[in-house]
Amino acid sequence: MVVGEIPEGIDLLVVGAGPGGYTAALRGAQLGREVTLVDHGGLSGVGGVCLQTGCIPSKALIEIAETAHRARSWSSAGLHTEGLTIDLGAFQRFKDEIVRRLGDTVRRQLDAAGVHVLPGRVCFTRPGQAAIEQDGGGPSRFVEFRDVILATGSRSIELQELPHDGQRVLDSSDALALHTLPTRLAVIGAGCIGVELGTAFAKLGAHVTIIEALDRLLPTMDAAVAPPVQQRLTTLGVDVLVGARARDYDDRRLKVDTARGMRIVDADVVVVAVGRRPNSDDLGLGRLGVRPRPDGVLEVGPDRLVRPHIAAIGDLTRGPALAHKATAEAEVAAAALCGRPAAFDPVALPAVVFSDPEVAVAGLSAAQARAAGITARVATVPLAASGRVATLNPDDLEVFGACSDRRGWGRNEGFARLVIDADADAVVGAQLVGPHASELIAEAVLAIEMAASPADLAGAIHPHPTLSELLAQAARRVS
Amino acid sequence: MSSQVEFRLPDVGEGLGEGEILAWRVAPGDRIARDQIIVDVQTDKSVVELPAPVDGVIAELGGKVGDILPVGAILAVIATGEGGRGSTGEGGRGSTGSPPADAALAAPPRVLASPATRKLALELGIDLHAVAGSGPGGRVTREDVEQAAQRVPAAPAAREPALLQGDVEVVPLRGLRRRIAQTMTQAWREIPHITDFREVDATELVRARARLRGWLECEGVRLTFLPLFVKAVVAALARHPALNASLDLAAGTITYHRRHHIGIATATEEGLIVPVLRDADRKSLAEIAREAATLAEAARARAVTPRQTAGGTFTITNPGSYGAGFGTLVIRPPEAAIAGFGRIHDAVVPVDGKPAVRPLLPLTVAADHRLIDGDALGGFTADLAELLSNPVLLLSSGEGGRAGPAGGRGPTGEGGPAGPAGGRGPTGEGARGL
Repeated sequence: MVVGEIPEGIDLLVVGAGPGGYTAALRGAQLGREVTLVDHGGLSGVGGVCLQTGCIPSKALIEIAETAHRARSWSSAGLHTEGLTIDLGAFQRFKDEIVRRLGDTVRRQLDAAGVHVLPGRVCFTRPGQAAIEQDGGGPSRFVEFRDVILATGSRSIELQELPHDGQRVLDSSDALALHTLPTRLAVIGAGCIGVELGTAFAKLGAHVTIIEALDRLLPTMDAAVAPPVQQRLTTLGVDVLVGARARDYDDRRLKVDTARGMRIVDADVVVVAVGRRPNSDDLGLGRLGVRPRPDGVLEVGPDRLVRPHIAAIGDLTRGPALAHKATAEAEVAAAALCGRPAAFDPVALPAVVFSDPEVAVAGLSAAQARAAGITARVATVPLAASGRVATLNPDDLEVFGACSDRRGWGRNEGFARLVIDADADAVVGAQLVGPHASELIAEAVLAIEMAASPADLAGAIHPHPTLSELLAQAARRVS
Repeated sequence: MSSQVEFRLPDVGEGLGEGEILAWRVAPGDRIARDQIIVDVQTDKSVVELPAPVDGVIAELGGKVGDILPVGAILAVIATGEGGRGSTGEGGRGSTGSPPADAALAAPPRVLASPATRKLALELGIDLHAVAGSGPGGRVTREDVEQAAQRVPAAPAAREPALLQGDVEVVPLRGLRRRIAQTMTQAWREIPHITDFREVDATELVRARARLRGWLECEGVRLTFLPLFVKAVVAALARHPALNASLDLAAGTITYHRRHHIGIATATEEGLIVPVLRDADRKSLAEIAREAATLAEAARARAVTPRQTAGGTFTITNPGSYGAGFGTLVIRPPEAAIAGFGRIHDAVVPVDGKPAVRPLLPLTVAADHRLIDGDALGGFTADLAELLSNPVLLLSSGEGGRAGPAGGRGPTGEGGPAGPAGGRGPTGEGARGL
């Protein structure tokens, strides 16, 4: 701070207006704090990556791709779709409208709660003080704050050999903003973002290649969830190269090292989706006396405090980079800074992939449960056990159809699986692979958090015919 | 083969007896490097960050956040050598990384309790692991937690918990507030206070401060009244060393301090902190002003070190800064006296038999009657008042004035016989010095 500058006083400073930041700001205001929310995008940045260029745009893109795909697959069952075309330009206008409307909702809430929203980048200058710098070199404001919640999120990791240019080499946000469909598209990384984008663009009509360095799709998830997703990608004509590394991209030719030697993948654009890195480096955290780990993560206590008066939430903290983790942590951090007892102690933090079929997991996998010393029982029900599944998509008759006359479960088939702690008679984990798994997982999360027994799940009546019956059926097998 | 190192709570400050665990930076299983900060501990008046003494893996933590440990208690057990299994960074978090990090969220063995029950336990400060669940399979119910809370009414909560019960909010006594409560209880219970109140004509003091302020401005000093109060107190103590003393009843001794370490009561958001301006008698007005400002700022930032709050021999407080006039004072043991300065305000006073408007400074001095009798207190307060109303007298004190007579004055011998206890004795002419 320049000598003579009088810093403005701020009670609770929240840095970053993504789902974590705006939730923390709203909760802080609700608890009686005077809250200032700073985001580099100001009011128009409200919602962060999730709303602006991430989860929400991606779900819209997946939805249009899936709708087109299902319409075509119904053509064998009487739906005639000749002349079906997709206009990505019109889609982008629609997407912008959703983003604006959802942003307005949040902006209204912030306004009603009396949260001050400032544009700028926060740079800490010393304990308790920060400069808020304007993009474009406008005058900085100096502020003195009592408490701060850091919620600056994360960014796509760049690959050295494929530097991001926003034209040919894209990150996930660029890919979701495309106005024209690339003919040939390569996706680097088969984690959830890579698989979601690859699936959607394939359904939209692009020729897609997915390149993954590890040995399978969705490498961070339970191995059982990958084969059905792989199966569907194959039927969509997507090439999946595992154990492969992109080396160089030039003149629309992507050189890839594989176990069987170098391969050339023709690609008009390359989307890099190899993970995300916390935005903890440009904040001047050292001047607060806070040091991130080498990977950028901030270590926090159960109350999300890095130390008294300083909290960090969302992608900045340990664990998967998920919006619902950030919002749950936001409630905890705001309460803790208001002197209330609070701890982030989920038993089940759900993770969802909007692939085809969708994948959703919560709690422990069978392997994790056994590693934790739990006497685990596992109940798996194939998708084909559901009458409702058969009515959703005529293509699934071919993909899953063979199983319906079989009692067993084929590994390429979707499924619902419960992991049970046999000693405690409690549901401790669930893995779902199938349509709307992202919605169905919530029931499993509740069961795990409540330590429900399989008999509780089986005894609760599930409506017929719905996919939700799958969980009840699985529970019945072990109750 | 791995071996284990017990990391014990060190004595990080002078006379620190215990520390409260404020925050753990590590968890069991974490790999740590030597000198890496692993825990924040709150001592008497400040927060200290303690580094690991060795490389290794945290095998065990000696306490939860909020626990108060005595010096020498085990803070953490660290496994050293190759035996340590560590959660060495879980790699990238994207698809390039190793398995997801939710292991940290799934471990350790779970207590079967619903989210609402867990939240209640947190609010009531109940460790769910210690509650025997009455539900099927040992599930802990809301009732189990409520019953456990009734059995241990004073159970320390996980972290500064607040028990919300209708119209009241009960919070545990923690940290600085707890310190203050302990000190004040001791002071009020043990020290028979006597107090002298006087109004001082501050006309000259106000004038002197205005002149000095302008003079010192070019040295970058913004002079408040506080440094002048310190100067006056030190000059008065030079004449009345009995007030710069400590009583130790248990040892049966009185210690007369030759050095003048003046505690400056500083209000902070979290409570009163008294950083100590050491050897105030050897410092110039500008030095006192600068140091007092630095100490006050450090106190407000909770960044004072235990050393900066220890060793005071006399305390001054400035209730005038928040508008108060006269007020009773509480002595900080083991000191023998405390002076308070109220708000300087205009009042009508008789001057040469006629009413005149003059700025008055309310002055309060409280002393420990076990050591100091009323006349000794009166003598000190009168001299202090005289110095404040005629600040030119401050020129008579200082480095030179200390040197000669200081050693030879009556009861200055540490722990010596009480001598002329009232403190009148040592006011010898020597103090006039220079």
